[in-house]
Amino acid sequence: METVQADFAFFDPKPSDFHGVRLLLKTYLDSKPWDLTGFVDLILEQTTVGTVVKMAEDEEDGNDGEANGSDGGDNEDLFGLITVLNLGRYGENRCIKDLKDYLLGVCGDKDTKKKLRALLEEKASTVGLLVCRRFVNFPYEMVPKMYDSLFDEVSWATEDEPTQELQDSFRFKQYLLVVRIFERKTPPKQKSKGNKDIDEPVIYSKLEDEIFRELSSWSFTFPIRAEQSAQQELKNYREMGLVMCVKAEAIPKFCKKLEALVSE
Amino acid sequence: MATRIQFENNCEVGVFSKLTNAYCLVAIGGSENFYSTFESELADVIPVVKTSIGGTRIIGRLCVGNKNGLLLPHTTTDQELQHLRNCLPDQVVVQRIDERLSALGNCISCNDHVALTHPDLDKATEELIADVLGVEVFRQTIAGNILVGSYCAFSNRGGLVHPHTSIEDLDELSTLLQVPLVAGTVNRGSEVIAAGMTVNDWTAFCGSDTTATELSVIESVFKLREGQPTAIVDDMRKSLIDSYV
Repeated sequence: METVQADFAFFDPKPSDFHGVRLLLKTYLDSKPWDLTGFVDLILEQTTVGTVVKMAEDEEDGNDGEANGSDGGDNEDLFGLITVLNLGRYGENRCIKDLKDYLLGVCGDKDTKKKLRALLEEKASTVGLLVCRRFVNFPYEMVPKMYDSLFDEVSWATEDEPTQELQDSFRFKQYLLVVRIFERKTPPKQKSKGNKDIDEPVIYSKLEDEIFRELSSWSFTFPIRAEQSAQQELKNYREMGLVMCVKAEAIPKFCKKLEALVSE
Repeated sequence: MATRIQFENNCEVGVFSKLTNAYCLVAIGGSENFYSTFESELADVIPVVKTSIGGTRIIGRLCVGNKNGLLLPHTTTDQELQHLRNCLPDQVVVQRIDERLSALGNCISCNDHVALTHPDLDKATEELIADVLGVEVFRQTIAGNILVGSYCAFSNRGGLVHPHTSIEDLDELSTLLQVPLVAGTVNRGSEVIAAGMTVNDWTAFCGSDTTATELSVIESVFKLREGQPTAIVDDMRKSLIDSYV
């Protein structure tokens, strides 16, 4: 087996990251068309809070007089993205309207829907949509750092943003997350010798989502209509969407638990 | 006329469809919108056929065809092959070929007269292409890329190639293909032309992220605009001339 040395770096989002970010967000909501492009543009415009993870730039490559256009084509590969968007501040953007309609549409339970509606409407200005997307093989060592950098940027923004209004827009009281999980379709089989099938009731694509769910005030799942993964190990599982509401006070606890999980 | 569409929030419409002058293939899924957009543009003229190839939806990248024939990779199932043979017009020869480079759509780009292929394509495949598709075959690269099927799209009237293609290469390719070529992008700066759009002699479908400028370049080089050439020249003149001295 060959080991590859890779250096990753965190960057502020910029317009040339459009294609990389779009690729990561393609499956954020289901297959139903929504203003994904607008959503990507929104994330890229918010440079004070938000991080993209790319390969660290090589000193030599940067100065090559390549015919590669203004952005030095090589560095277009995005491996991860993390950001938080204030649902009140961006409430008039079409992408956020589409997102709110979508979430209200897929929420089955009446009581949860009431709480969700309150979050998306009356309380929107204190709610941050936390978006974290990355490739499946993204090294876990970097994940706590991604979240740390996000929450640091949020706290700096409450002091550094140019207007009081903008500063306040980062004083989130709750975070809303939309993630994917796999739920077991069939009841658990009898454990026979040599049965290598995974048997967990729920598989989290991103391990930290399990921590978020434990700490969440409420959450709900909804079925995904897009084509399911053909992976052999997941044949007994169904992909579901999971929406969670996490109070801002729970974040320090989250960071501690995440750190502990990753250092295992 | 060029139409902007998307497949399940995916602007890579050239991945999920294959358009020729005699038929159009469309992937299954992606909400009825995708299929019905093709249908409404093409229904009375050519058949629009829903299909998968090798059980996948990336049909545009796996097959290559023109009005004379359709070449499919070895991963195509017997049912898919039969389905295509049944649905396509009789004069279109549908053939499954045994080529190691199975993403035929990425390796080969063609119109009704000429084909450009990946430099490492099998000699036997090259002969089959010439035979089934009735074209002259040229092994080429585009802006240094061997996946010629991905980085250019051309019809019998014009072509769009990778934005970093040099002027010399453009001239050489234009001579080979005998059509005007332009180096450009699709889907807001994407260089993978053939993934972002699909085109025939009278219409084109581009991903919904394609900007107005990109669309106008596409409509112009593929000669898709209704009206006389002079109308196009007048149009361009208005945007080029700032003031009359």
